[in-house]
Amino acid sequence: MDRLQPPRENYANPKTCFFHVFFKAAALAFYILSALFFNSFVIIFVVTVLLAALDFWVVKNVSGRILVGLRWWNEINEQGESVWKFECLDQESLARVNKKDSWLFWWTLYLTAVAWIFLGIFSLIRFQADYLLVVGVCLSLSIANIVGFTKCRKDAKKQIQQFASQTIASRFSSTLQSAFSVV
Amino acid sequence: MSYGGAAPLHQSSQSDIDEIENLINDSVRFGPATILPARPPSSPRASIPVSSSPFVPSALHPLPSSNKKPLPHFAVPSFSAGPSPQGIATDGLGPPTNTLTEPIWDTVKRDLTRIATNLRLVVFPNPNREDPGKALRDWDLWGPFFFIVFLGLVLSWSASVKKSEVFAVAFAVLAAGAIILTLNVLLLGGHIIFFQSLSLLGYCLFPLDIGALICLLGSNVIIKMMVVLVTFSWSSWAAYPFMSTAVSSRRKALALYPVFLMYISIGCLIIAVD
Repeated sequence: MDRLQPPRENYANPKTCFFHVFFKAAALAFYILSALFFNSFVIIFVVTVLLAALDFWVVKNVSGRILVGLRWWNEINEQGESVWKFECLDQESLARVNKKDSWLFWWTLYLTAVAWIFLGIFSLIRFQADYLLVVGVCLSLSIANIVGFTKCRKDAKKQIQQFASQTIASRFSSTLQSAFSVV
Repeated sequence: MSYGGAAPLHQSSQSDIDEIENLINDSVRFGPATILPARPPSSPRASIPVSSSPFVPSALHPLPSSNKKPLPHFAVPSFSAGPSPQGIATDGLGPPTNTLTEPIWDTVKRDLTRIATNLRLVVFPNPNREDPGKALRDWDLWGPFFFIVFLGLVLSWSASVKKSEVFAVAFAVLAAGAIILTLNVLLLGGHIIFFQSLSLLGYCLFPLDIGALICLLGSNVIIKMMVVLVTFSWSSWAAYPFMSTAVSSRRKALALYPVFLMYISIGCLIIAVD
């Protein structure tokens, strides 16, 4: 796969990119290939779901932060309501994010979900309910990450626009102030 | 007084501080799902004197078991004068101390601490049990995931035939059961948060896990029944305060009965698996 080989321009965080792809690929590969080697459904289930859960954690906590500078989580505030919080780097850092990194990040996120959907359709056709359970769990983990990061990115763009317009306005007014104070 | 280039820089920085303050106040006022931009310490504004800013650059590392409150996280990277290296990490494992680029071990440690804290709060006696909403504020699903998988594995190991089916059934029953129980509470008009309740029901499986492990090691039916009885009552005792305070008192039994039923059936499964 080309994604894993260093191209002409470098990835800024090769180790993070590797781990980002590794757990996804490992979960998919293990699920697909294990039917050839293992008879036991339990091992397939536990290992695949464990890899998918590790991948979820890595994407949410590590590669999301490092590759695209986004983070999302859920909190329960004082009134006992659940609040989704999004966090992003400021605009300079976001502009400095490596294009290849973020391309890899988003594309592998979407492709994994599509792959799990295909596998789910296969197991549905074969009437294997227990394999459908595995696919269901892995798919819901992927979709959770996709939804979280997409919302985060949209809010980040909105916030940056707001911030930029406020910065321009305040710089303008402070320039005016300094101009008049010098006089 | 103006000195050449210094005053305009200071003025614009000062106004930037003000606008950052306004942003924070606005975002706190306007409620959920707002973006809080976090700046890395490489920003040139790190040299601003502390007295002009309301934020204290004392806590460079997030506290391990606290909620991830957005305000200190936002403030610390902007104005930290600490010994953090400049620039965003180019390598994933040795980044500067910043909320968005904190060391990975910090994240791992924080998550592990959170699992341990939640377990302690839910399952063991502690003074916070009267206010259940506060106790599991920092919910997480890792603990429940491990406990469900562990219970499934132990049951599957104890079974001499149909191991895969036992595992699949145990996992599906527990996962679907937790979801349905939560929906039950919500439909009864209770005030509970979906994930918080899932997390709680998962953590309350811990005593049954211990019971299943003991039953795996011993073989006498009477001993198994005693062990399962003890651990079942421990699980129910753990789950009781959260569930009962979530619904109105007239409907308490309606909310609690399915929970007990689920734990009893898991207990019977533990005894019956042979």
